[in-house]
Amino acid sequence: MRCIVGLKIMLGPEMNGVGRQSLLPTRCLEKTVELSWSTLALEMFNFLVLLWLLKRFFYKPVQSVIKRRQDSIEERLARAEQMEVKANKMLSQYEERKEQWHLECEQAREALQTEIKLKREKEERSLRDSLEQERQRNLTLEIQHSHDLERQLELRALEQGSQFAAQLLKLASGPELENRLIELFIHALNSLDEDRIVELRNQLSHSDALMQISSAFTLTEEKRITIKKLMKKILQRDLQYHFVEDSELVAGLRIRVGPWELGANINDELLGFSSLMGDLMIESTGR
Amino acid sequence: MVFLTVLALVVMRRLELIPGPMQTLAEGIHGAIEEAIRAVAPNHVTQLLPFIGTLWIFLVAANLCGLIPGVHSPTRDLSATTALAILVFLSVHWFGIRSKGFKAYLRHYLSPSPILLPFQLVSEITRTVALAVRLFGNIMSLEMAALMILLVAGFLAPLPILMLHIIEALVQAYIFGMLALIYIAGGLQSQQLRSSSKGELNE
Repeated sequence: MRCIVGLKIMLGPEMNGVGRQSLLPTRCLEKTVELSWSTLALEMFNFLVLLWLLKRFFYKPVQSVIKRRQDSIEERLARAEQMEVKANKMLSQYEERKEQWHLECEQAREALQTEIKLKREKEERSLRDSLEQERQRNLTLEIQHSHDLERQLELRALEQGSQFAAQLLKLASGPELENRLIELFIHALNSLDEDRIVELRNQLSHSDALMQISSAFTLTEEKRITIKKLMKKILQRDLQYHFVEDSELVAGLRIRVGPWELGANINDELLGFSSLMGDLMIESTGR
Repeated sequence: MVFLTVLALVVMRRLELIPGPMQTLAEGIHGAIEEAIRAVAPNHVTQLLPFIGTLWIFLVAANLCGLIPGVHSPTRDLSATTALAILVFLSVHWFGIRSKGFKAYLRHYLSPSPILLPFQLVSEITRTVALAVRLFGNIMSLEMAALMILLVAGFLAPLPILMLHIIEALVQAYIFGMLALIYIAGGLQSQQLRSSSKGELNE
């Protein structure tokens, strides 16, 4: 149904002088000014359909994607904010830890310096002690060394003295010396104290009855008799006497009864002197 | 309508969080419409966006159709513009009633005084007629002027007029959509103004 109402702008009939057909398509103009209900209804329907289609395929998807983007941005912003908070927290922790670390470093440095100082003092003390000990040891060694040297000098002097004495006595030995030694021997026997004599008697009570008397030179009869009488007097018993000559004695005599031996001769004295020197040498070496 | 639907389908086929050029354009259009609605009716953006957006998109497309040789703008037909004006008229009441209810909506015609009711009714009709005739008159006269210049002056002479046509098409679409938005927002916010003024008086 096509219904034409009211508005009709009639430009055509009033414009005959200009030439109606050649100027404007009046029919077309009339058509546009006409109000067609069908066109109106279809236009409304058309618009509503377009509204539904655009709502379905344009507005909702765009709104959806904008909302998704906004959510994503908000989520990222929230995450960034959380990260910022976390970073700030970590930064403050780091600053705090750094300060604490500086403090710890300072304390550790002070402790280390104190420890080094104490250790240095201890080491210095220890070194001083060890040096003192070393000095004492060196002093002791020096003293000992000087003593040893002194002793060696003494021993050497003694050795030289004994050699000199031995040489001198060998040169000076003779019957006169022997007589003098025999007299000394007799005098020594006569001057023995009672305890010594008793001890001598006890020792020789079980020994052999033979008494060997060695001398460097031949003893005179008078001397032999004197010796026999003296021995009998001391030992209170009779013995058999055997007199021998022994040139090794240099001068003097030696009396031997079993294990017991009495001597008053140069050789034995020199041997005793040598033995004494040997003991002194061993003693000095042992130190 | 088919063109717009197909275009929407093509653009919206693959929506990404990081948009391409077409998606950016579509989102830009959507954002611009949304901002314009928010400036007038900030509490009803979601509710009004489909209608006002469709109105704007349709009018821009329809007005620009006249630039294509052999195609006439649908909006130079009074029936089409009247249909759109009637839809705007109906949508004002539809959104108003949906917002606060039938009685509350009708009551605003009686405020501030029932004496003003005839004027309100006349205003409703005249603004709807004005809406229809304004768009129709502008687009039709523009096309007619371009046709007359083409007939008189030759092939390239109406080119500035075509440029003017583009501007006029966009401006008329904007005016129609904005007026529709203002009417609808007026219907919606009159309820709110009344309720808020009542609240202030009670306080």
